[in-house]
Amino acid sequence: MIPQATPNPQHGLSRRRFLQTAAGVITLSVTGLREIPRAHAQRWSPTPGVATQRIDGRTKVTGGKIFARDFNARNLAVHGWPDTQWYAMYLRALTTTRAFEGVDLTLLPADAEPLKVILGSDLAAGQQNPPLSLNRDNIVDEAIMRSRRGPGQAPSQAPSQAPNQGPGKQADPTDLDHPAGMEFDLIVRPGNRPDFLGQATALLLFDTRAAWRKARALMQFEDAKYQNYGPDIGPNPDDPKIFEPQTHYVRYTDSSDPGGGFSYYGSNDADYRKESAEQAIRVANYLNTTPDLIKHDFACDMRAMDPMFMEPESGLIWYDKTLSKLNVLLGTQSPDGDVADIGSMYGEQGSRLKVEHVDLISCFPGGGFGGRDRSPFSLMLALCADFADGNAVKLEYDRFEQFRVGLKRHACETHGSLVVAPDQTIEAITMVLSFDGGGRKNLSPYVASLGALCAGGAYRVPKSDIFANAKHSENVSGGSQRGFGGPQAFFATETAIDEIAAQQGWDPLTFRARNVVSKGDTTVVGGPISQELRLTEMLEIAGNHPLWSERAKLKAQHESDRVAYGTGLAMSLQAYGTSGDGVVAAVMLNKDGTYEVQSDAIDMGNGSATTLGVVIGDILGANASTVEMGGYTLFGQIGLTANRSIGCVPDATWDDPKLTKKGVGSSSACLTGLHQVHAVQQTAHALFANTILPAARALWGEPDLVVQDTSWSNGLLMTEGKESLSLPVIAEFVYGQGLDKGVLGHGYCQEIWVNAMFNTQSGSYRFELDGLATFPSDGGAAKAVPRYATQAMDCSSGRASRYAWAPCVNVIGLTVDRITGEVQIEDVLSVLNAGRIHVEQLVSGQSQGGVAMAIGYSLLEDMPPGIAGPADGRWNLNRYHVPRFHDVPLSSKYQPGTRSQELVIMNETPGDKKQGRGIAEAVMCSVAPAISNALRDAVGVRYLSLPITPAKILKGLYQ
Amino acid sequence: MTISFTVNGASQRVADDMAAEPLLDYLHEALDLTGTKLCCGIGVCRACTVAVTKGATTTAMISCSTPLSVLDGTDIRTVEHVAQGEQLSAIQTAFLENFSFQCGYCTPGFVMGATVLLEQIAASPIEEAQLDRAIADAIGEHICRCTGYVRYFEAVKATALKVIADKTGARQ
Repeated sequence: MIPQATPNPQHGLSRRRFLQTAAGVITLSVTGLREIPRAHAQRWSPTPGVATQRIDGRTKVTGGKIFARDFNARNLAVHGWPDTQWYAMYLRALTTTRAFEGVDLTLLPADAEPLKVILGSDLAAGQQNPPLSLNRDNIVDEAIMRSRRGPGQAPSQAPSQAPNQGPGKQADPTDLDHPAGMEFDLIVRPGNRPDFLGQATALLLFDTRAAWRKARALMQFEDAKYQNYGPDIGPNPDDPKIFEPQTHYVRYTDSSDPGGGFSYYGSNDADYRKESAEQAIRVANYLNTTPDLIKHDFACDMRAMDPMFMEPESGLIWYDKTLSKLNVLLGTQSPDGDVADIGSMYGEQGSRLKVEHVDLISCFPGGGFGGRDRSPFSLMLALCADFADGNAVKLEYDRFEQFRVGLKRHACETHGSLVVAPDQTIEAITMVLSFDGGGRKNLSPYVASLGALCAGGAYRVPKSDIFANAKHSENVSGGSQRGFGGPQAFFATETAIDEIAAQQGWDPLTFRARNVVSKGDTTVVGGPISQELRLTEMLEIAGNHPLWSERAKLKAQHESDRVAYGTGLAMSLQAYGTSGDGVVAAVMLNKDGTYEVQSDAIDMGNGSATTLGVVIGDILGANASTVEMGGYTLFGQIGLTANRSIGCVPDATWDDPKLTKKGVGSSSACLTGLHQVHAVQQTAHALFANTILPAARALWGEPDLVVQDTSWSNGLLMTEGKESLSLPVIAEFVYGQGLDKGVLGHGYCQEIWVNAMFNTQSGSYRFELDGLATFPSDGGAAKAVPRYATQAMDCSSGRASRYAWAPCVNVIGLTVDRITGEVQIEDVLSVLNAGRIHVEQLVSGQSQGGVAMAIGYSLLEDMPPGIAGPADGRWNLNRYHVPRFHDVPLSSKYQPGTRSQELVIMNETPGDKKQGRGIAEAVMCSVAPAISNALRDAVGVRYLSLPITPAKILKGLYQ
Repeated sequence: MTISFTVNGASQRVADDMAAEPLLDYLHEALDLTGTKLCCGIGVCRACTVAVTKGATTTAMISCSTPLSVLDGTDIRTVEHVAQGEQLSAIQTAFLENFSFQCGYCTPGFVMGATVLLEQIAASPIEEAQLDRAIADAIGEHICRCTGYVRYFEAVKATALKVIADKTGARQ
């Protein structure tokens, strides 16, 4: 047996959810791979609370069949699939200035001809432009609602636009989130001008792999020969359209303002738009009329970036006519959203396929970084089923196609001003961030929104005027890639900080230290910072490190006529989570005395499953032997209803034990350290109270025993004067006496964790959960445990935008070849406050990955827009250069003369409340500005256009 | 005419009309051995690396761009054949215990590249001072997007040092 985490629930069992569609109710389910055996904690990590390897490691290191690309229909017989399959291929739009007129396949030989050619005009109405369900962020949801209800209407006045959801259903603001004319056809209809490059123009289906392969070989790089377009009629005159909502954060505070002045957080929702415009003028007037302020104007730009996850997207689909069931196999970051979108596609009136069930087999994703989050791939795959005559179909992109259509990090242009007083106090930041959303909306406006928050950097900023939006363009669609707006914003702010310091002759570290935010301060939104940050301490650590303190000496050592050396410092305060996060987890005691953890999180490779498997160890005496991720239906079993008006209107209060604000939301990997761990640990405590302790009381004959009387040692439950109890003995009693075998917990975090009292089998306890249910040992359905005495945050905290932060300071030492323009990163120091460290190896691994990715988009990864870029179908890793071995320092301990990347993790303090934080994006976001700052130090030139290629270096040096 | 080779010890004979088929496709389609991964498909990323032995020489070879025609008379090993039953190889164990990988899609390529290197070092040990260069030559062109390579490098180096120490000790 191989130790293993599963990417999804129930090891081949499925649980279902229901989707109401125009055509009727469709059941949705997410199923595990039956091929993956169960784990044995004793073997993967025997010490409670300690991970000695990844729970999924053994399968991965032996080449196990776990990725979507590994499967063909013939491998899925156990799931009832046929053993033969068809193959799908899409043709892609080559222009946005000419109407697509059709395909011409006459050049294909007979043995390469597709069996079917499907054009946009062949699609049913629901397939041309299927509804999507984006659900990301309370603050953005509110903005969407506001834009629908018009100015002046309070939220409670629009109940029909903010429907309450029944048990097990998510609040779905996104049935509002469909601006007319902004979502584009999956396949361009003949006669129409494509909306963006790479938009599908035709679906070709082949009934043999040989024909598909031959056709692909012939058509690759020769698209123009097989598609017909009309004359050039120019770009769409409606472009560039804006992907709503846009974000505008204005803040005005000064010492004379009582109550904190004006901010988004402190304002009234209905009046914010009008007031913010007035306050923006006030900011501008202040800056124009106040003498002696030091104003630095800046303008930065960043190319789009490919996430370049290693496994190009791939999937299988099969429509089982006898069961009216769509069977799908995918590796995805958002299984819940994907299965719902597919259901919606076939739930429209007029759908040719009668679909009553959709089942998704969710595989391990071969990387993601946000690029698989709500990827259009799932819908492109789903479309194939309608035309496959009941055959299974495989759609697999190669790397060229992945570059051509896969979600990108947004290209972005930023400009603005940083204004500082002569005493080095930051007075104001103004910034406009314009994100290139590319073809499809995806999560672009939400990325822009977080970018606006990050524009304030890690600093106290009393006055700000920050505007961010995302625009439609002909380019490849942008997505939620790692950093989520942070890379663009922090680059602008941190290089501006550095430039002012350089121009004024200030020490850049001291300048930062004078302005950093700390607990009790507020953000540019006006929201309170209630987490301990320790930025000043982190700057001190960085300042005392020889990479910074001896930078003059290092410069002297490296410098020559040809080589320049520079040191740069930058910091970031990456927000993680959203403005309100719901998480759910279950912890079960199995019959054999092992534990099983279930979570709604997805392990994108970051090690979430491993972490969740060991964080119960100290609470329950053993690590989980099984960790099941992507628990799509867990929330539906807990008896809560999600209502985002909770706490804000009288009839939706936290006193109602059946309400919560959000079921589950983002599947972002950064949520593991704080959110998912919290849910699992609180649920583990509840399992101890409800199952373990009652069993121990009975076995020991100590009915008054309390939690504090017990302890775990070597997997045995101990109490004074009694024989210790092993987990198999406890499990035997639990199952024999019919005690509850498991507990399901739901948490909601918005500045604080909602917490409440719950009655368990050993008494009443306060857990930082807002929902609890128990699983009986007879296998029956979960039973809700009503909460009472609930403590929750004020409704207004939802306007804080974010409440959880991962601070990081990066120092970069680099060399520049003045002849070739090549830059080499010599040393990296990352000082990271990650809170509690659950698995140190995973934290440092994430950090190292973040450093490498940042080096890539700072120096190497260059991808032009338009048809000159990957949209032409000719881009691969020979043209798009991601970091390799020699591009990154490989020693993990700083030592002069050896290229190193040292990670200093702040020690845990009581202020961390035993909670972890996001990691990789926190480290990544300040690497790029630190590189630019180091280049400024090395050669005296400010580089603000990413990537900083050798050509740009030479241009800066010699032109 | 046929092309003959072995894959993980099993004899394979394919017709000449398949000569142009990439080894990777053959592994996936004919043998259902999907541990060897496709990433770039043009021989850049080395996720598709396998070990190919001809005569006394074993080399790490990219399977996505290697046609069957050049494999006649060779013995091919893939990641599925590195562990002996439940017993992982030294490098697999090192990658596992050092948390060297994350998503794991590039891991089979690293396993095979490092395996060939370790076999070469075992066959003809090198000086410790040459080791970093040898590791860079062996897996320096492999692409990993998750990890930043540090933990791969550490695991290969530690395992190689053991091999060198074992061989040096055996000679002394």
